[in-house]
Amino acid sequence: MSKLVTLTIDGKQIQVPAGTLVINAAKQAGIEIPSFCYYDGLSLQGACRMCLVEVERVPKLMTACTLPVAEGMVVRTNTPQVIEARKAMLEFLLTNHPLDCPVCDKGGECELQDMAFRYGAGEGRFVEFKYHVPEKQWSPVVYYDAPRCILCYRCVRICDEGLGVNALGVVNRGVRSEIAPNRGDHLECDECGMCIDICPVGALTSGTYRYQTRPWEMSHVGTICTFCADGCKTTLGVRNGIIIRANNRDRSGINDEFLCIKGRFAFDFVHHPERLTRPLIRTLSGFREASWAEAIELVAERFEQARQQGGRIGLIGSTRTTNEENYFLQKLLRQGLGSNHIDHRQSGDLVSLLMATRGREGALATTADLYHASGILILGADLSQQHPLLAFQIRANYRHHRARVYVVTRGPVREDQIAARSLRVAPGQELEALESLRTELQGLPDLVVLYGDSIKGSAVARLVQWCDSLAIAVRYVCLLDDANSRGALDMGLVPDWLPGYRSLDQMNLQPGLCWEEMLESEELEVLWVVGANPLRRRHLKRRPWLVVQELFLTETAQQADVVLPAASAYEKRGTFTSVCGELQQLQPAAQVPGAKTDLEIASLIALQLGLELGPADPDELLGEIHRTVDGYNVDLPLVAAGAAVPTGPYPDVAAVAVRVDKIRSREDTLFTAGSLGQRSQVLTSVREAPGSLYRG
Amino acid sequence: MARKISILQAAAAITKGLGVTLREMLSPAVTEEYPDAPPSFEARYRGRHILRRDENGLEKCVACFLCAAACPVQCIYIEAAENTAEQRFSGSERYAKVYNIDYSRCIFCGYCVEACPTDAIVHGHGFELANYHTSALVMRKEDLLEPWPKQADVALPELERKVS
Repeated sequence: MSKLVTLTIDGKQIQVPAGTLVINAAKQAGIEIPSFCYYDGLSLQGACRMCLVEVERVPKLMTACTLPVAEGMVVRTNTPQVIEARKAMLEFLLTNHPLDCPVCDKGGECELQDMAFRYGAGEGRFVEFKYHVPEKQWSPVVYYDAPRCILCYRCVRICDEGLGVNALGVVNRGVRSEIAPNRGDHLECDECGMCIDICPVGALTSGTYRYQTRPWEMSHVGTICTFCADGCKTTLGVRNGIIIRANNRDRSGINDEFLCIKGRFAFDFVHHPERLTRPLIRTLSGFREASWAEAIELVAERFEQARQQGGRIGLIGSTRTTNEENYFLQKLLRQGLGSNHIDHRQSGDLVSLLMATRGREGALATTADLYHASGILILGADLSQQHPLLAFQIRANYRHHRARVYVVTRGPVREDQIAARSLRVAPGQELEALESLRTELQGLPDLVVLYGDSIKGSAVARLVQWCDSLAIAVRYVCLLDDANSRGALDMGLVPDWLPGYRSLDQMNLQPGLCWEEMLESEELEVLWVVGANPLRRRHLKRRPWLVVQELFLTETAQQADVVLPAASAYEKRGTFTSVCGELQQLQPAAQVPGAKTDLEIASLIALQLGLELGPADPDELLGEIHRTVDGYNVDLPLVAAGAAVPTGPYPDVAAVAVRVDKIRSREDTLFTAGSLGQRSQVLTSVREAPGSLYRG
Repeated sequence: MARKISILQAAAAITKGLGVTLREMLSPAVTEEYPDAPPSFEARYRGRHILRRDENGLEKCVACFLCAAACPVQCIYIEAAENTAEQRFSGSERYAKVYNIDYSRCIFCGYCVEACPTDAIVHGHGFELANYHTSALVMRKEDLLEPWPKQADVALPELERKVS
């Protein structure tokens, strides 16, 4: 803990740690110092001159955003001189800024508007013509209107420091200065839209939200992004049941304000014209639309037959359904239909890690740990592409705490920029390469190890053993693909263990078929696919009766006997567990008439079958999960309040034979995301799509 | 004597009264002959809204939503969209794709007119809004827009003032 310094701001005496900037010290004292270019977490700029304050015994006004506190310093923020300086600064900023607030997308949430209202003079004295250049489109999602720009450099800094992309810069001089993209007239970057969010004025605007509505016209729903496993909170702006934009400006959630292109723009799949809204039943001549009652009755009839034949039904679940749905589905299958053929596409080997670290406290790292740990070891993953939030956290850690980052991958990754050492090895050879890092890692107080899908089975045990030999505090993150991949493992949506990684023996079950075996099995009468697309690149050898719950008519749904239109994660309540094990709640934002949530569909089937499976309401099911599933005995009111609550530990991890060859990451880039990604107009329209991993 | 005085007083009163009548007969009439004749209005009478056009016939409304925000009864519903090179509706980048006013809720307070930064919405003098169906009271942009080319018989209030 650094030394405390006492200073006086506007007559208030406060104590803050040495090195604090005056602008932050004032914030702690409850005094606002206006600023544009200062941004928490980014480097200092001192460009906008809005934060000028008077410091005793200093002849000129000082910029509070670049001035560290000093013992006995006396700062005044409300003297006539300061007030006059702010007015003058705003007048300068507005010399060329067009007064098109009624049309500007930022109107209503514009920092310049707010500042002009609070600190401005109300009238400008400039009568000259305003300098004008036409608006430019840099990419499908980013527009730049140079006259509105106040050159605060926030976008330049977030792109360089936050994302490590460095796609923006400033060109020209004086009144002609403007932000320029890295490819002259267009952008080639992550298309994350952070620059749009961070822009204090309407200079950078979003191509998708453009001229759609105004901020106060939307209702804002905080929910969890349905794409990758990082669990970013995204606040959806909704109007008339339609999602119009997504951002996280309130900095709630584990991601602060970070979102990648998927979280910020790719919600458009929800309102895709091809969304299924009526159940479909196969006839000889193709599909016909049917009522829910008819479809559910038909499905229940076939399920009942399969049950009577001794559980000849298999379930392939999803990595984007909620914990409640996964829990209910496995309960329906195991308890109701007497089958243990239940699986989903596994993308990382977590259970081997849990087995290897059984009985240890704090073996799993949280998202916050990535920001605080003094060492980070990345094994076999292109984090910036596959896990943008984790990469963002690690970059912030490097920037703020000088974390030592070690990268062991098969090709160049963006983390090489900040890495202390980068090693290139063939997939599966990561552990052999580690030995050369031993002495460096041993010097660290603590380490977080992130490993991808190339490290699985016995390799995980070897990794843990090797890390133990370093004799430092090590925590692990098993990298997984999708929004609720972790939850699917935790909820036992697998043939090898029960919820909470309990042994199958507790229910006297034998390990069931994995999803690839289900597609080939002679044994199954009915195959039930919930939100997965296993037939994307395969064909069924022998076609069982196929029920598919899907948003779209995917390759799998096209071969189904009954297709039930399902709701996406943006349309339902429930919880997701992030890759780092944080439990977070979803809130329904959009409305797509006709679709039902997977939980509702499963409970209707259970009802039709006459099964007593307990409540099928998301909140009540979460209560049941809280009571019965290991690791989920968490603070539920916190979850309900929108916090990210770490799950675990798992005291009773079963000893299972890991099906190593079935664990495979889909290796999504920033611009791909399975069947949802294909239906997102934004993801498919950007120039960078589909992108590739290990390009640096 | 008393009788003579009272006769004279009565005569004076009648003369005075007839004087008023005579004077009023010569001054212009205030009686409205509505519905037999069209009523007359003060210029600032707040009747049915008119969405105005600029001198090029483009809609003045830029869909800034400020009227809807100012409306105390939330009777204004707007959907915005962007003008394209092929289809230009308003003079600015954005235009109102949908602009509805629900006259079953409107209280004719004039806040929307005050809020409008482009003087696009003004009160006209239309007041015959009664209908047997409330749904018919929701008027769309097409119902509210000033006809183009301008027609002489559309009574517009004299609000042509320069925005400084």
